[in-house]
Amino acid sequence: MADVSGQQGTAHSGGLRSDQVSGGVLIALAAIVVWFNREFPVGTLADPGPGYVPLLLACCLGGIGLVVVFMGARTEAMATMRWPEATRALIILLACVAATFALERIGYRLTTAAFLVFFLGVIERKHPLSVMLVAAGFSLGSFYVVGTLLKVPLPVGPWGF
Amino acid sequence: MVDTFNSLMMGFSVAFQPQVLMYAFFGCIIGTLVGMMPGLGPLAGISLLLPATFGLNPIIAIVLLSGVYYGAMYGGSTTSILMRIPGEAASVMTCVDGYAMTQQGRAGPALAIAAIGSFVAGTLGVIGLMLMAPTLASFALRFGPPEYTALLLMGLFVLAYMSGGSMLKTLAMAVLGLLLGMIGIDVMSGYTHFSFDIVELGDGVGIVPVAVGLFGISEILMTAGQADPPKVQQPTLRQLVPTKADLKLSVGPIMRGSLLGFMIGIIPGSAHIISSFVSYGIERRLSKHPERFGNGAIEGVAGPESANNAAATGAFVPMLALGIPTGPVTAVMLAAIMVHGILPGPMLIQQQPDLFWGFVASMYVGNVVLLVLNLPMVGLFVNLLRIPYAYLYPCILAFCILGCYSVSNSTMDVWIMLVMGGIGYILRKFGYDLAPVALGLVLGPMLELSLRQSLAMSGGDYSIFVQRPIAVTMLVLGLVLLGLALKPLIFKSKDWRSSVGLDDPID
Repeated sequence: MADVSGQQGTAHSGGLRSDQVSGGVLIALAAIVVWFNREFPVGTLADPGPGYVPLLLACCLGGIGLVVVFMGARTEAMATMRWPEATRALIILLACVAATFALERIGYRLTTAAFLVFFLGVIERKHPLSVMLVAAGFSLGSFYVVGTLLKVPLPVGPWGF
Repeated sequence: MVDTFNSLMMGFSVAFQPQVLMYAFFGCIIGTLVGMMPGLGPLAGISLLLPATFGLNPIIAIVLLSGVYYGAMYGGSTTSILMRIPGEAASVMTCVDGYAMTQQGRAGPALAIAAIGSFVAGTLGVIGLMLMAPTLASFALRFGPPEYTALLLMGLFVLAYMSGGSMLKTLAMAVLGLLLGMIGIDVMSGYTHFSFDIVELGDGVGIVPVAVGLFGISEILMTAGQADPPKVQQPTLRQLVPTKADLKLSVGPIMRGSLLGFMIGIIPGSAHIISSFVSYGIERRLSKHPERFGNGAIEGVAGPESANNAAATGAFVPMLALGIPTGPVTAVMLAAIMVHGILPGPMLIQQQPDLFWGFVASMYVGNVVLLVLNLPMVGLFVNLLRIPYAYLYPCILAFCILGCYSVSNSTMDVWIMLVMGGIGYILRKFGYDLAPVALGLVLGPMLELSLRQSLAMSGGDYSIFVQRPIAVTMLVLGLVLLGLALKPLIFKSKDWRSSVGLDDPID
């Protein structure tokens, strides 16, 4: 029954459609580009300036966005779009943001170890011993391979680690 | 012909150097492992390995990265056949009949035919590359800025026509990529576009963080919270031997897939993905028993696998001969070559013959390595799939951060990767193809420069594009394809996508 109602919702329910929303975002993005592009001389058709091509592209993007909106009436209703992974995805992104912020402050090895402990221990709730082994093994091992063997400079924290 | 043969022999003398052989071998192994990991396709693999090639000589760097590329193409097929998990998008069609064969206890022949098809297609593709790239490069010496402008525009129109999904959305993504390519210093005026006073953005947005974010991070975000992968079958060496009937059924699809894949590979877009869909559609149409497709038809494995490998090789033709990437993978490889101060393009074959012919010869070697290595070791490789996804994805994320940071030792690239990852996730949820973004990013500065140079040459007269025969031919061809792409949109008719099982172009 749930499936049937879901399909009906997709086919007949009112409200915004996915392509109408995404097309609208494209139009908004085009408008933002046009706004920031006003700092650059556009020049003329014969002698284009640095703002010419970005303006042309923004107009193209806005135009395509408009067509996407107009043709989007048959697409999936926003209300029926499913986002089951969204919360987990947001947590993953926030953890990555924290790791990036810490990378040059506490060094690669500590950041990576803490990052893996968070994911394996807190999110995935794995056994503490395996969490510690993976976190220590990955952070030290990858530092050795990439930093020491391949000589790619990786950030080291204030404690020299 | 004699010149080509002599050049190839010179290439083999480079490719058979122990160090080059060793890196080709490592590239194939790393690529196979990367291709087997869900969330890490060839693009993410190459992007992450890119910083490690900075210290290598350019020949070894490109041999290593191309080994990763075609190794990943092969690795993706292994997981498709054994577990119905396409390691990368081009293997989606292999899942259909490959996994059906596995369920019937015929995983061995499916894996063997995939490997043989990949080998034949790779080898034929290299022969095509060897014959076509020098000819195309000498032709391209006649190209000036108007021809390059026309070529880039034609490429974008072809991309719209050949896109796997909605033409409108593909164009929107290509324009978004072109706009991203506008970020940074304008070489003709010295103005800095859209840098928001962030010094690192003065150099523009790099292809690596964008590619890793759009393809690697967004994949992990999409699969977040999924259950562990199912159990894996491990065929023995004896089970890998295909029967005579299997071989007989596969010869035609392999040859057709190789030819088709190579031709599609030269065209911009997600060539290896499209080629596998088109090949599957053609084989199903040509078959006397189309009802077998979807239920374990070996032709459904042989055709798409050959096509996607030949397309991977075909993509190197415009990259090496014209210096123009046809997709995100070749865009990253182009960046890898340019890091070493080498400018790919028409002069590459004349100025760096050892690099070009060494690369061609190493591709032959790589194909042999893949065939010899992968089949006997398939049992070993699939052990990687036993690692629970809960352990795998945090490590992949850490690798993504490490790889992006290493490109220029800057957290700016990591921030860009995360932003692109978030954007990529949302775009995928709304059904947008991400490959044109990466392609547009690389083509954007080229297009702007060649357009403005053309107009400077002509004193602002746009007729320069119709006065030059090569430029006008390419523009007309591009516009015809754009017209064909728009036709189903305007007249609500079906186009080529529906006949090969790709998405409706309007949706």
